[in-house]
Amino acid sequence: MKKFLLSALLSAPLWVLGQGFQVNLQGQKQIGMAGAGSALALDEASVFYNPGAVTFLEKNSVSAGVNPLLFKSAFKQTGSNVTEDVKNKIAPPFEFYAVWGPKSNKWKLGLGVYTPFGGLVDWGDNWSGKYALTSLNLKAIYFQPTLSIKITDRIGIGAGFVYNHGDVNLQRAIPVNFPDGRSAKATLDGTGTGYGWNAGLYIKTLSNISFALVHKSKVITKLDGGSAEFEVPKSLEGSFPAGNTFNAELPLPATTSLGIGIPLSKSTVLAFDASWVQWHIYQDLSFDYATNTPALVDTKSARNYRDGSSFKLGINHQASEKLALRAGVGYAFSPVQDGYVTPEAPDADRYILSAGIGYTPTRHFEVNASFFFEDVKSRKQKNIETGLDGTFKTLVYAPGISLTYKW
Amino acid sequence: MKRYILNSFVAAIILFAAACKPEIETPAGTTAGQANFSKYIAVGNSLTSGYADGGLYLEGQKVAYPNLIAAKMATVGGGAFTSAFFSEEHSNGSGYISLTALVNGTPTLTPVVDKLAIRDAAKHLDKYNGEIQNLGIPGMRVDLAFDPTLTFSAANPYFERLLPDAQVGKTNYFQFIQGRNHTFFSLWLGNNDVLGYALNGAVTVSTDPTTALTDKVTFSSLYANFLNVLTAAGQKGIVGTIPDVTAIPYFNTVTVAALLNAAKAINPAAAAIYIQTGTGAVRPATAEDLIRLPFQSEGIFGKPNGSGIPYGLHPLNPIENKWVLDKDEVIKLKDYVNSYNSSIKSLATSKGLAIADTYAYFNQVKTGINVQGVGINASFITGGAFSLDGVHLTPRGNAVIANVFIDAINAKYGSTVPNIDITQYRGVKFPN
Repeated sequence: MKKFLLSALLSAPLWVLGQGFQVNLQGQKQIGMAGAGSALALDEASVFYNPGAVTFLEKNSVSAGVNPLLFKSAFKQTGSNVTEDVKNKIAPPFEFYAVWGPKSNKWKLGLGVYTPFGGLVDWGDNWSGKYALTSLNLKAIYFQPTLSIKITDRIGIGAGFVYNHGDVNLQRAIPVNFPDGRSAKATLDGTGTGYGWNAGLYIKTLSNISFALVHKSKVITKLDGGSAEFEVPKSLEGSFPAGNTFNAELPLPATTSLGIGIPLSKSTVLAFDASWVQWHIYQDLSFDYATNTPALVDTKSARNYRDGSSFKLGINHQASEKLALRAGVGYAFSPVQDGYVTPEAPDADRYILSAGIGYTPTRHFEVNASFFFEDVKSRKQKNIETGLDGTFKTLVYAPGISLTYKW
Repeated sequence: MKRYILNSFVAAIILFAAACKPEIETPAGTTAGQANFSKYIAVGNSLTSGYADGGLYLEGQKVAYPNLIAAKMATVGGGAFTSAFFSEEHSNGSGYISLTALVNGTPTLTPVVDKLAIRDAAKHLDKYNGEIQNLGIPGMRVDLAFDPTLTFSAANPYFERLLPDAQVGKTNYFQFIQGRNHTFFSLWLGNNDVLGYALNGAVTVSTDPTTALTDKVTFSSLYANFLNVLTAAGQKGIVGTIPDVTAIPYFNTVTVAALLNAAKAINPAAAAIYIQTGTGAVRPATAEDLIRLPFQSEGIFGKPNGSGIPYGLHPLNPIENKWVLDKDEVIKLKDYVNSYNSSIKSLATSKGLAIADTYAYFNQVKTGINVQGVGINASFITGGAFSLDGVHLTPRGNAVIANVFIDAINAKYGSTVPNIDITQYRGVKFPN
């Protein structure tokens, strides 16, 4: 007689992607300097930081590095006396670079494989925000072949094509209950691809102060035919059909950076980078399910991101022929406006501190290590869409190491 | 060797990070403010007792809003909180209804009849002898709390089970709640003074006082008596306003439009649903007329009478008055609720008490709210807040309302009783 509208079950939109997913870990030397260094031709990581500087690298090289990252986030519901922590899970941002060009020629080729965006957050299946999110595992791997050319002895330009391979796995509890009282669950899992570019200009003035202007384009990553699985009581299976798929779009923003490198002495150089991260492209997030039911409708959620920015200052000191020491500080402004903070990336303005060390035992080999720390400010928020109301506080720890072979 | 180094490296990171957890400082759970929660008593009706799904049973008793509040008061000096729980062996108490099938959106509701706490053929319930602080009794009303005949204490099985045999039929609820040496109280009573009448289709049965509509002035003076005894020793406390009874799923699930659609599916010529109003008039029903939930399972809709006229579809065989709150009755009920609530608020204000405005809160629930990622609304079964009887709350509904009380207590007395994590409490159980 009476049809019950099950759409109420999913009145809150399913997933909320985006924001503080930028991972600033693309080269051990630069990480040790808080991520500054676009205006320095330091090493092969310039493929990422500034393709225009690649041609000024003295040697050909390959390097590989990893930065096991711990994202330690805590949440306390407004009015609650219980603090909940994410599980200790280690995300593996990595980077691989190769740079080659005929000696004393005007051009070099480069290849970079790195992870500029990602997130690994697991709050557990029974935390107080489980109906907003239980876990997220997001990886974006960029492949970037690059060409860098010296226009003059002091000016270089470079550009690379970017192919992104993205993986996303999102899980959330649904507020309907099995006979034993436990909640239903949704899992979205998909793979996507996107394309973009990375171009840079490097200028070394007569005073040896260097400048950089770099633009990394946005990469709209399309997830097609991802699996949408719902673990629900049998009586609701008609509303959440098995074998369903979804399409979605994940817009990864463009970044424009201005860099300055200032040599303080023969062995010491200061680097400053200002970056403008154009998150404004992230206005909404839509999920389009292959099979819709009254309970499972396509969603379009407002995100309303503004642009983010960061300011980073680093120093590199060559203590001896074999040993280099580095340190850096930074500050980043969050793109997430009040009311849009979510548990998958509980973003806020953040401080950055870093330190690094480099060791060159032989002419060919180099080892670099870094430690990167972010203190994301405490932020009390009530999400407009889900009603999740509480305070987030996050600390990020990322030690890292890389090996380089040069010739 | 490489693996060993790698593992040590990972282990070192985890140890390091475990030691460097982010901290969030908040005042929750640090002070009772001007209140003293050492002995809290809860005065009320079925909502206070934890009644749900058309019955009183152990699972519901454990998540009754006063029990949830008391557990949180414990962090700021609250003492033990005792309730007349049914035993594990008789955990299904009075029995209740469960959802056993949901086919194309049509629910099948089945009574649970095992593990009952019925002690005799007259359907009396297992007695409870210990001291109790959850004093909620299903069916209790402000007027009947002062029952001068003292017979309600025998007639109401939920009251009867709490009394020693010697007191059955010899006391009333107003006497029952006194002398308990409380330091803090909650009073959420009065719903049944209008709901009993509404649930009977706005028909008062002269032999059944639970179907009466309590006079407004009487309500106010009796409510004042409650507050006088509960604050006699200067105790602090909280009162709850009465939700709009016409907004609950019981009156908003079987709609006139749904009935008409069902009729049209069989006979496309069906043009209107006919009802008999409270004045005895017969007219086509409109969206402003509310049909009671049990009409759905009664199986009389469309049945031809002796003259072959289908029930509810013809002026000569309308839906009887007892199944319907017609729009004039709805207006009358809303008026009574508003009157009771203004009495409750002004009396509580004059005593300096906290007020949990559940009337205002349920009006928000009716349009739908999102709380901590959970969408809650007043829909039957899927709304999450109301249990299968369409009147009483699910565990999730209890948790949400408990927070309304806690917020009002904290605001009034400067206490920091922690909020309840509502995501730990279920809505309706769906069959697997």
